[in-house]
Amino acid sequence: MATVYSQYAWLVPVFPLAAFLILTAFGRGLKQTGAIVAVLGSFGALALSALVLIEHLGGADEYNDSFHWIKIGGYALTAGFDVTNLTALMLVVVSLVAFLVNIYSMGYMKDDERMTVFFGYVALFTFSMLGLVLADNLLTLYIFWELVGVCSFLLIGFWYQKPEAKAAAKKAFIVTRIGDVGLLIALLLLFWYMPDHDLSFAAIENVFGQTGLITEGITTLIAILIFVGAVGKSGQFPLHVWLPDAMEGPTPISALIHAATMVAAGVFLVARTFPIFEASQAALDTVAWVGAFTAIFAASIAIAQNDIKRILAYSTVSQLGYMMMAIGLGSVTAGMFHLFTHAFFKALLFLGAGSVIHAVHTQDIHEMGGLGKTMKTTAWTFAIGALALAGIPPLSGFWSKDAILAEALHANPALFVVGIAAAFLTALYMSRLFFLVFAGNPKAGGEAHESPATMTVPLIVLAVLAVIAGFVEMPFSGTGWFGEWLTGHAAEHEGAALVMLVSTTIGLLGIYLGWLIYVKGAISRDVVTSRAPWLTRLLERKYYIDEIYHAVFTVSLRAIGRACDAFDRHVVGGAVRLAGGAAFWTGRAATRMQSGQLQSYGLYVVIGLVILVAAIAGRRFW
Amino acid sequence: MSGFYINWSGELVAFFAFAVIMIVGAVLMLTLTKVVHMVVSLAAVFLGLGGMFVVLEAEFVAFVQVLIYAGAITILMIFGIMMTHHQAVQHEPARPVHEIVSAVASILLFGMLFYAIRTTEFEPSAPPLQAGVDNAMEIGKQLYTQHVIPFELVSVLLTVAFIGAIVIAKKEAE
Amino acid sequence: MLSSYLTMAAILFCIGLYGALSKRNAVIVLMSVELMLNAVNLNLVAFSKYGVLPSLTGQIFSLFTISVAAAEVAVGVAILIALFRARGVVNVDEFNEMRR
Repeated sequence: MATVYSQYAWLVPVFPLAAFLILTAFGRGLKQTGAIVAVLGSFGALALSALVLIEHLGGADEYNDSFHWIKIGGYALTAGFDVTNLTALMLVVVSLVAFLVNIYSMGYMKDDERMTVFFGYVALFTFSMLGLVLADNLLTLYIFWELVGVCSFLLIGFWYQKPEAKAAAKKAFIVTRIGDVGLLIALLLLFWYMPDHDLSFAAIENVFGQTGLITEGITTLIAILIFVGAVGKSGQFPLHVWLPDAMEGPTPISALIHAATMVAAGVFLVARTFPIFEASQAALDTVAWVGAFTAIFAASIAIAQNDIKRILAYSTVSQLGYMMMAIGLGSVTAGMFHLFTHAFFKALLFLGAGSVIHAVHTQDIHEMGGLGKTMKTTAWTFAIGALALAGIPPLSGFWSKDAILAEALHANPALFVVGIAAAFLTALYMSRLFFLVFAGNPKAGGEAHESPATMTVPLIVLAVLAVIAGFVEMPFSGTGWFGEWLTGHAAEHEGAALVMLVSTTIGLLGIYLGWLIYVKGAISRDVVTSRAPWLTRLLERKYYIDEIYHAVFTVSLRAIGRACDAFDRHVVGGAVRLAGGAAFWTGRAATRMQSGQLQSYGLYVVIGLVILVAAIAGRRFW
Repeated sequence: MSGFYINWSGELVAFFAFAVIMIVGAVLMLTLTKVVHMVVSLAAVFLGLGGMFVVLEAEFVAFVQVLIYAGAITILMIFGIMMTHHQAVQHEPARPVHEIVSAVASILLFGMLFYAIRTTEFEPSAPPLQAGVDNAMEIGKQLYTQHVIPFELVSVLLTVAFIGAIVIAKKEAE
Repeated sequence: MLSSYLTMAAILFCIGLYGALSKRNAVIVLMSVELMLNAVNLNLVAFSKYGVLPSLTGQIFSLFTISVAAAEVAVGVAILIALFRARGVVNVDEFNEMRR
């Protein structure tokens, strides 16, 4: 098929950018109209992305266009966009979720004064994310990467009157920045080692596809550094600490940024630079193990949290760990597949949580209960999302998680066990969440009513997607076209039946256990808390990681900062003051010589005479 | 004079005597408290110097020294003192830094001069002056032939000086 | 012999210099200056007898010095008297402005 629409793919980010500019310029007077502008911007992006995707589903070739941006000496930095199958897919994911979130926000943020500012930031974010997806070289990607970080900062700290929001925004920015340093160093290394200093992904694929062009050590180093950047952005251990705190932001952006898109940027980056990772087994192993550890680590914290959004945040961290594990096992297909399905059901869960919060005005799940009776749509769509997350067939999460687990079983059974354990915990915490919030009897004094249509319609759309999105890659022969379309080679489906069986059983077991504890009450809720309170506290306090970071890094850095400040103020400032003071006091002393006293002048004359004679006539001595 | 061997001659004895008078007078001039006493010790210095001129066979100069210095100038000083201060005793507020530094500077200067004097070889190309019996006559001969112009100029200077002194010192017309 | 006269003159000169620099009463300063001039005269006369070219010129020169010194003392005392009438004291460290 001819690449008619791919040529115009660069327009896709321009729609939300235009919306941002309009909202920033005229935002004060717009209010509700501003929301319409934002929705239109994201719809334009969605429409064009859909056209591009349809084109590529039909077998269009990759399209690339770039222009020389900065010329330095004999070298030119290029900027351009790439339209491959992978990027076309991501374009649709991002713009679809953005569009739905915009519609949802029309209802959720209706009473907020700074509504147009919010929509402007969301539009800017959409622009940055789409630009990141389309970038054809690592430098352009890095630029949009940073821009996405800035938008995340702006949106997390949107309600900046709250000190927790301010602190969370700073934390997010700083922690992702730490990861970005790794990415920057990798970028510099690539610039150094790539022939012609070419940073485009096509060149990377070329160079790293051939063995021996760049040494194994350097390759591993570059891959690990890129992964560090991904760890920061995607909230893997140990840089996961910002993601739960980022829940201080409004729920729609938790759905957009911290579930579906920005955190997926890390996974997307690793997928884009996969040839580098493929060339280094050590890097792949690192990615796989970090991902697996994060998956189970975050899942274990999630079962002890009480804030609905935090549970979902740790769930996101855990699922991102799954995606990383998949890529680390060598299967970009499985990782991207899970990213694709996760975007839909996690966004669904977050928007559903937003709907709940909008109704009951609290985020503590122990204060909720029995909402299933009054908020039917929210409850049903939330149930679908929860089941998808837990990996229950035939929902989308089941197929994508199974793809990952199948790869794990095939490549490294230890990782398979970790994945299964994390899946069990996932099912457990989601059922706990669902039953505590929606089941049981309503708490007294709460009149929770269903949310308006602008909020429930996106929920329904996402629920439908959460059901059907998995059917693009099923491990039955003849039906798995997704992998081949995405990466160019077909995925293998060994042992798929065993995996399906085990994961389904584990998922159902987790849900059953949750039902027993929280609905039936057959097992006491405090069974662990009473026997091993230290365990509960450990999980609830997130393994005290924040406290450890504070004690190790924050305190010492503050001390260093204070020391530098003292040095600057006293030593450097002191030297400057000394120079000034020396000049001043020399002047003062010299002034004293001009006293008007005749005898002083005479004395100076005699002293000068003595010195002169000694200097001139005394030369015979030296 | 070489080494510690002192060649005692009359000249040397006289020199030492007058030298002692002069130095004692000079030091006393600085250390006494009453101004009039200071003037008297200065006069002693002048007289000692006159004696030393005699030793140097410059009798006319010695005579003029005693006449002018020990006579006129000392009296002028006393007049100056009488007309310019109320109390007899000088109380000087201490300026220790200044005094010490000037003492040190003076001593250093003396040290340099002394060193210069000691290391210079004064080789007289002619034997010491035989001034003759009548010093005044000889001076007169020189003064009115070779040095007559400075002589006239000095007389003009003296005239100007005393007229100027009168003008400065007289009371302003009321 | 010459060097002892010269040393004597140097001593007198330095004593006079010290007095000129450190005494407060202007009359005393004037007297110290006279002392310095006397030391110069001694130098002149000593060189006229024992110097490199002994002649009477030294003595004649010292006569001139004495006359000029006398004139200077006269004018100096006159100035001091005028200053005393204006200020009331003749302390050297009080005269430290060019104009009143």
